[in-house]
Amino acid sequence: MNLLSKTTLAALAISAAAALPFLPGVSAQNATPVPAGPPRTPVTVGSQGPPPEHAKFTATQIDAGGSLFIQNCAFCHGKDAGGGESGPDLTRSKVVSGDKNGEGIGAVIRNGRQEKGMPRFSLPDAQIMELVAFVHSQQDKAMSQTGVRKGVEDSDLLTGNVAAGKKYFETTGNCVSCHSATGDLAHVAKKFTGLRLEQEMLSPRDAKTKVTVKTRTGVTLTGIETYKDEFVIGMTDTFGVYHSWPVTAVTFKEESPVDAHVALFSKYTDEDVHNLYAYINTLK
Amino acid sequence: MTLMKAGFSMTFLHSVRAFALAAVAVTSVSATAQGVTDAILKNPPRDSWPGFHGDYSGQRHSPLTEISPANVSQMTLAWTFQTGLGGGGNTMKSTPILVDGVLYFTMPDHVWAVDARTGHTIWHYAAPPNKAFHIGQRGVSMLKDKLYYMTSDAHVEALDAKTGKVLWDVMVADSNKGQWSTMSPLIVGNHVMVGASGDFDNLQGFLRSLDPETGKTQWQWDATPPVGTPKMTSGGNIWMTGTYDPEQNLMFWGTGNPTPVLNGTVRPGDNLYTCSIVALDPETGKLKWAFQPSPHDTHDWDAVEIPVLADVTVEGKPRKVLMQASRNGHFFVIDRVTGKSILTTTFGPVNWTLGIDKEGRPIPNPAKEPAQDGRLIAPDEGGLTNYRSPSFDPKTGLFIVSASPSYSLYFAKPADGTYGWAGADYSLWSKGELIAIDYRTGKPRWTHPLGRRAGSGVMTTASGLTFSGDASGNFLALDTATGKTLWHAGTGGNIASTPITYELDGHQVVLLSSGSILYAFTLPEHHAAAVKTAKK
Repeated sequence: MNLLSKTTLAALAISAAAALPFLPGVSAQNATPVPAGPPRTPVTVGSQGPPPEHAKFTATQIDAGGSLFIQNCAFCHGKDAGGGESGPDLTRSKVVSGDKNGEGIGAVIRNGRQEKGMPRFSLPDAQIMELVAFVHSQQDKAMSQTGVRKGVEDSDLLTGNVAAGKKYFETTGNCVSCHSATGDLAHVAKKFTGLRLEQEMLSPRDAKTKVTVKTRTGVTLTGIETYKDEFVIGMTDTFGVYHSWPVTAVTFKEESPVDAHVALFSKYTDEDVHNLYAYINTLK
Repeated sequence: MTLMKAGFSMTFLHSVRAFALAAVAVTSVSATAQGVTDAILKNPPRDSWPGFHGDYSGQRHSPLTEISPANVSQMTLAWTFQTGLGGGGNTMKSTPILVDGVLYFTMPDHVWAVDARTGHTIWHYAAPPNKAFHIGQRGVSMLKDKLYYMTSDAHVEALDAKTGKVLWDVMVADSNKGQWSTMSPLIVGNHVMVGASGDFDNLQGFLRSLDPETGKTQWQWDATPPVGTPKMTSGGNIWMTGTYDPEQNLMFWGTGNPTPVLNGTVRPGDNLYTCSIVALDPETGKLKWAFQPSPHDTHDWDAVEIPVLADVTVEGKPRKVLMQASRNGHFFVIDRVTGKSILTTTFGPVNWTLGIDKEGRPIPNPAKEPAQDGRLIAPDEGGLTNYRSPSFDPKTGLFIVSASPSYSLYFAKPADGTYGWAGADYSLWSKGELIAIDYRTGKPRWTHPLGRRAGSGVMTTASGLTFSGDASGNFLALDTATGKTLWHAGTGGNIASTPITYELDGHQVVLLSSGSILYAFTLPEHHAAAVKTAKK
């Protein structure tokens, strides 16, 4: 019970933080109160900081997990979990660093990350724990290494010019049409750092599409678009209730903050990206 | 199927379902059953789909017309086949083959023979457990009465098509070193041809020809020099089934990325024959010509996408062409007799080139090689398209491909070393769409949004239909001329295979898979008629 409530609080804290991307007009400070919980150990990744703490796993578990990892995970995440074709480096993953005994890693394996192309895996609990054991062992190994390491250090990204980035933010990129350095983006470089900050800057991961749906009977509902394909639109309204309709049965209007980010992809030079990052990184 | 729940077993698991049932199922064809012959492979009968692409051309275009734009909306389910192997990464990626009324298809470590009229299992083979990557299995191929299957750990096995019994087993690559397999072998004449997959490790890509009776190596063509040759690349693995032109007796194969993958500094030059389309003689494995879609690749853009063959008219003249919608974002039309470029265009966002050289190859922009502070690259590493088969409709001249416009960040620094991936890349954004490219101009004539990046391949039919699937698990039938949706069915699964179609007892069937389930669709009157006949 104790473990469960702690885990739930941790998960809430993570999801609350993750739910605050660069949304236009939403101030990071007053959007969602972060539930008060026990102070959490700061989570570290890469070769920085002390190694994360987690449950002890047996050599048998780690070995069995290694076999399962090769079969199911290694193509995307690399044989050593250090990243591969399309899948991130798990040895630098905050989910892995924050996981104690499978509560975080296991959830990702069971549920997948459909939006990022990771399928869910229906494996028995014991096998999931073996995978958890293996991933932890790989992170421990990677973090104890000081030599050759794949991956991106925060310092790698700082080659741009802050003033040029500020200018891009205010003029060329017209970021100010949705964002404010003292409003929604104040302290953004504290919330996200390094590569994650750059990824959020270029393509905010959790920026939800808002949708207003008008039904044939004249009812108007506003909420977050939670499903959309060619034939069906689904949304979660302000009361948290899910609705779906054939797209032909309703009229709807979408507001997608990601679109403006996507539109910039074809316009950026690499210099723009580095300058803009240098500037955003000052918003601590 | 629950009776045959697929467990891993050291012995071969043969599930000969009720013997009588299997006997009934094949009665109507047993008198004429001949397996697969050279003539069938060169000119597949309407009631067959004898190889990975259907015929040798890779067009995945069927001459069948019973199901048409006018009646496709009436299509209904005839049967489904549940492999019982669902779950996450375990998705059916194979193209079934149909021979003498029996469908043969696979998932990693599993092969099934199923009665095409009912979806009933005839036999099921579960391969011994192995540690290799299980990312997909694209199907078996057949010659005479034998099936050829590649295990995940890069063995080729010949199975008795009647029983699923293993007749011989040869290892073609060492999966412990990082090569594994997914491929449906290509069969030409007396040759079973296979390559291996892999890009994590610095290994030599190859194509090997085996004797269909014994599995003995007939010849091997190596894509790259032996590993360790100074300043030379390794890699060039051949992941996907090639195509074949019987008139020229010439095969066409795509090769994969060079290694180390993202670090090009230790392998200067074009890195032949990685990321290339190669024309090989099936008798000897000798190279006739090569065309390189991605010279000196540093983004993992394998050129293994299907090299589609067609005899078409270019500027008023008949030409034998090869077309590829390549992972690096370019659409190539090549003269397949000479290997010379006819046309090179892009079919989505591409930002990594300085233009196209006089040979029709993209010129990589050195500033877009992976770097310590990151480079914004289009497309992403998954590419503008990938393993999913495209289709060519000769009537409209449309080359239809499931594409994924995308952007990513690529990183590499000296500390990342010179082995394997040697860098890191992160996809930022992508979407999915079907793009119908006019081969004459290389420009899209229509684009059909699919939502997120989709995994289904494409099939077209002579009645003017295009079959594929979206990222949300919807099977789709579109009007080939316009790209408009005429039929759909939601499956709730991940679609990662390519539809096929064939005629059975005089009527057309469309066969698709989603998740680990196979679905057969027909027009309702024929389905109903079949039921009525059975009741008599």
